[in-house]
Amino acid sequence: MIAAVREFANRFLGRGDATITVPSFDGALKPNQKLESAETLLTCKEPEDLATDGSNLFIADGQRLMSLSGGTATQVRSFERPISALCALPDGSLAVALGGREVSLYASPSAEQPSVTFADPAFNAINALALADDSTLIATDGSATCGVDDWARDLLELNRSGRVYRLDPANKTVTRLTQGLGYAFGACAHGNAMLVSESWRHRLVLVTPGASPRVVLAHLPVYPSRLTKASGGGYWLTAFTARTQLVEFVLREPGYRRRMMAEIDPAYWVAPRLRSGMSFKEPMQGAHIKTMGVIKPWAPPRSYGLVIRLDADGQPLYSLHSRVDGVNHGIVAAIEMGDDLVLIAKGPGRVLKLPLTGLAEEFRP
Amino acid sequence: MRDTLTSLRYRYWPDHLLGEILSKRWTETAIPVILLLIIGLALSRSIDNFLSPASLADTARQAGEIGFIALGLALVVIVGGIDLSVGSIFALTDFCALYLLDVLGWPVPAVVVATLLCGALLGAVNGILVGYLRLRAFITTLITLIVYRSAYDLLIQRYSNAIASAFPDIPSWDFIGGGSVFGIPTVALVYVVIAIFGHIFLTRLRPGWHITAIGGSRRSAYNSGIPVRRTIALCYVASGVLTSIGALFFASRLGTVGGDIGVGLEVIVLTATVLGGITLGGGKGSVAKSAVGVLIVLLITNGLTTMNARGGVNRMALAGILLVAAMVDIRWQKNRTRIISKVYVAPTYHALPPPPPTEIGQGGPFEQNDKLRNVESIGLGRIEAPEDVILDRHDNLYAGSRHGDIMRFLAPDYQTMEVFAHIGGQPLGMAFDRQDNLYVCIGGMGLYRIKPDGTVEKATDETNRSMRSVNDDSRLRLADDLDITDDGLIFFSEATVRYEMDEWPIDGLEARGNGRIISYDTKTGATRTELRGLKFPNGICVASDGQSILFAETFGCSIKRYWFAGPKKGAVEVVMDNLPGYPDNINLASDGNYWLALVGMRSPSLDLAWKMPGFRRRMAKRVPVDEWLFPNINTGCVVKFNEQGKIVESFWDLHGENHPMITSMREHRGYLYLGGILNNRIGRYKLDNADPNFVQYDKRWGKLS
Repeated sequence: MIAAVREFANRFLGRGDATITVPSFDGALKPNQKLESAETLLTCKEPEDLATDGSNLFIADGQRLMSLSGGTATQVRSFERPISALCALPDGSLAVALGGREVSLYASPSAEQPSVTFADPAFNAINALALADDSTLIATDGSATCGVDDWARDLLELNRSGRVYRLDPANKTVTRLTQGLGYAFGACAHGNAMLVSESWRHRLVLVTPGASPRVVLAHLPVYPSRLTKASGGGYWLTAFTARTQLVEFVLREPGYRRRMMAEIDPAYWVAPRLRSGMSFKEPMQGAHIKTMGVIKPWAPPRSYGLVIRLDADGQPLYSLHSRVDGVNHGIVAAIEMGDDLVLIAKGPGRVLKLPLTGLAEEFRP
Repeated sequence: MRDTLTSLRYRYWPDHLLGEILSKRWTETAIPVILLLIIGLALSRSIDNFLSPASLADTARQAGEIGFIALGLALVVIVGGIDLSVGSIFALTDFCALYLLDVLGWPVPAVVVATLLCGALLGAVNGILVGYLRLRAFITTLITLIVYRSAYDLLIQRYSNAIASAFPDIPSWDFIGGGSVFGIPTVALVYVVIAIFGHIFLTRLRPGWHITAIGGSRRSAYNSGIPVRRTIALCYVASGVLTSIGALFFASRLGTVGGDIGVGLEVIVLTATVLGGITLGGGKGSVAKSAVGVLIVLLITNGLTTMNARGGVNRMALAGILLVAAMVDIRWQKNRTRIISKVYVAPTYHALPPPPPTEIGQGGPFEQNDKLRNVESIGLGRIEAPEDVILDRHDNLYAGSRHGDIMRFLAPDYQTMEVFAHIGGQPLGMAFDRQDNLYVCIGGMGLYRIKPDGTVEKATDETNRSMRSVNDDSRLRLADDLDITDDGLIFFSEATVRYEMDEWPIDGLEARGNGRIISYDTKTGATRTELRGLKFPNGICVASDGQSILFAETFGCSIKRYWFAGPKKGAVEVVMDNLPGYPDNINLASDGNYWLALVGMRSPSLDLAWKMPGFRRRMAKRVPVDEWLFPNINTGCVVKFNEQGKIVESFWDLHGENHPMITSMREHRGYLYLGGILNNRIGRYKLDNADPNFVQYDKRWGKLS
């Protein structure tokens, strides 16, 4: 009763959960344009995820699995469904999630048949695979109702149906570790627990088997996504898009949201996107007006490019950005390969490379 | 069904009036007046004879006496102080009058003068202490309250018997207290005279303004050279004098010097002052507020007395009211602007059908192309915000800038840029008249005329005030575009009457018909509103028939025609509606058709929001302007349409790199010149198959070029 009254008062006064404030890019998240200076390794239509065995870089591009070595990209194989996640195992095998609904393990990237296939009926939107420290696989499933590419609808429907699974190739079992996450998108082993990105709650949680998730990093101004280990301890956390006050406001407007989803083409929804500025039918906000021929980099981002370097405790050290006037938006994957950081900017469909040397010195506040 | 209900609700319920009424200064007086009427009505219903002449006359006598004191206190409060000693001054001056009359037997005029002097003297003590020695008003007048009261107690111990035993029978003295003219008590008449003077004094005379200024900000008033100390001191003196006037009437009416005279008077008067709406912080207040406050307090106390309430209850009620009034006052003063800004924005229902297609491959007149990709830039980075452009017969190019200048680019290469005229406001639409004067609409200023030698003259900046508008809409807020008829009548649009030029997005958020079309007669100088209730009227062009104008409604996404002469005079007709973008300026093309700039394009999310006023109202309150859903004005196009409202051709720039925004275009000798209000350049585009000798206003006025 009291909770209901408080919620009503909050809604009426715009307080508590009804506030639409978004934290600012500050401290370790201080904006820069470093991602704009990244070298483009490859331009492809639908890059989705990255994996490396140390010498080869594997790229999931739609239904195709590409391999990049020495500057040339070759197609390794193709699947009937789009690849939604990749993970290379230390024994040289490769795990591939297809269409978000099944995960197959191939002994080598070019092996004919999968050695193991996990196709639990509960799988709906497997969007990331990671290696746990006991040689099992961790899979995050964003939503029980919306497909991998339909994440904007999942956000607008305020769904909280993200799950984390443990896949054991040895005895071919699937164990659900947790559920009820606001879009689980990306995981990485952290001791015997795992860090998981909970996108719609803008935070990173630590999932320990048999315990409820513990918040590690909260109040992000972005929607976090895939995580990978960084050399020298710590992690790379990508953020596929950023929050805006308008989207936060629309999330609190059920009437408008319902009609928008029913009446408007999803490309023109008021929702975060991986790329923007493609059509004048996209929603435009006040600060987006081009004044004297310039779009302001601080305008509210409909799409944004960001990768955050976390320390071993999951706290941010520094970050690399592509701001509103930039192109390399929608960073969904980042992986270290040798002395470089390789990233996928899904917005423009690019695989990017940034040398790691000097990054920390340049951007650590 | 839901949309129909919403549309009816917003069509017939005037949401926008609440904010307009609240932003009026008179609302602060209106609220106490309404309270007064309610109390008066309630009491007249529950008490018999409440409105009988005798009862009214009695109320008027008391109101007059207390009213004088309230006026004095109002002055002191407005100047930023407080006078608690009024009750004691009242008692002392009452004693003074009766002592002089009854004991010393002075003549009435002398008594009057001496009593007023006595009041002035007592007030002057406060004045000197608070004004010149800068003691705290509260503590100072609290002390004088005690001192004066003690003096009074000492005096009446000695003289009350002498005063009580005297029964002076002086008609002029009795007339002061009990007389009436045409049934109206003398005291009420004198009060009215002094109140009217007080009103004029506070609102029209220099010292009155000084008092308000000091109350508003003592330091600023001092810095502006106002004699702060003297003015404050004189306010206390005035308070003393006005209190003594009240005391004179009281003395004449009752002729007693009882021990409880004036006790608790300061609470009554203070309650009246605060209840009337005079802010205790100073700087705000009026005579009317003071009078209304007195009446409310009197009605309440008299009502309670009639209903046999005890004195204690009476005082407690007053104190309670004072507390509530002071609380309301302080909250209101603190939050007034915030409340107004929250309720002023009043979005309304605005439904548009799905727009015609613009995508490549979908066909239709608005199909996108890349014709404008190779637009040349003139003055790139040198001119800022050329909303409209115009060329004279010598091919010189004129454009407005956001620095408030009309810039001229000299033919033939347009490399030399000079200031043609400085006006001071943002120039918008432009047109040449028959004598080569350049008429320009200036946002926030009005319609201006620039002679060929560069002299700037104001043509008009006000029109007739409409009777049904709450806001004063006589001043021009956002004159936007214009054209001139053959008879020298200038029609110009005013985009909105509710907002300033830089607030255009708020008008777009409201999507109400806030704009109008106004005519200015160059022969007589008369300005008249022709049409109102238009959704951001923008471009205007006199049609080829010479009897009508075409005008664009930007947020209405339509082009309409208005007949100003001929058989259909006064009629308005839709030429084109449901445009895929927001129409801006309209101009003549050399082939007799019309050019139209679409400054921006519609987006489905805003179209939907326009059907949901509640959503937009909450957005206006919760989301900062920079993050609002806006009309997309980053992409636009130029179209050519004919007299029947059919699109002949469209010109697009797919990437908007050369020329991001188009608010206007002007054809001149085979080229199209493009203006954009947020651009730092002027565009120039070579037209195919255009008349190489076309100069718009030379053709209009039948001149050879």
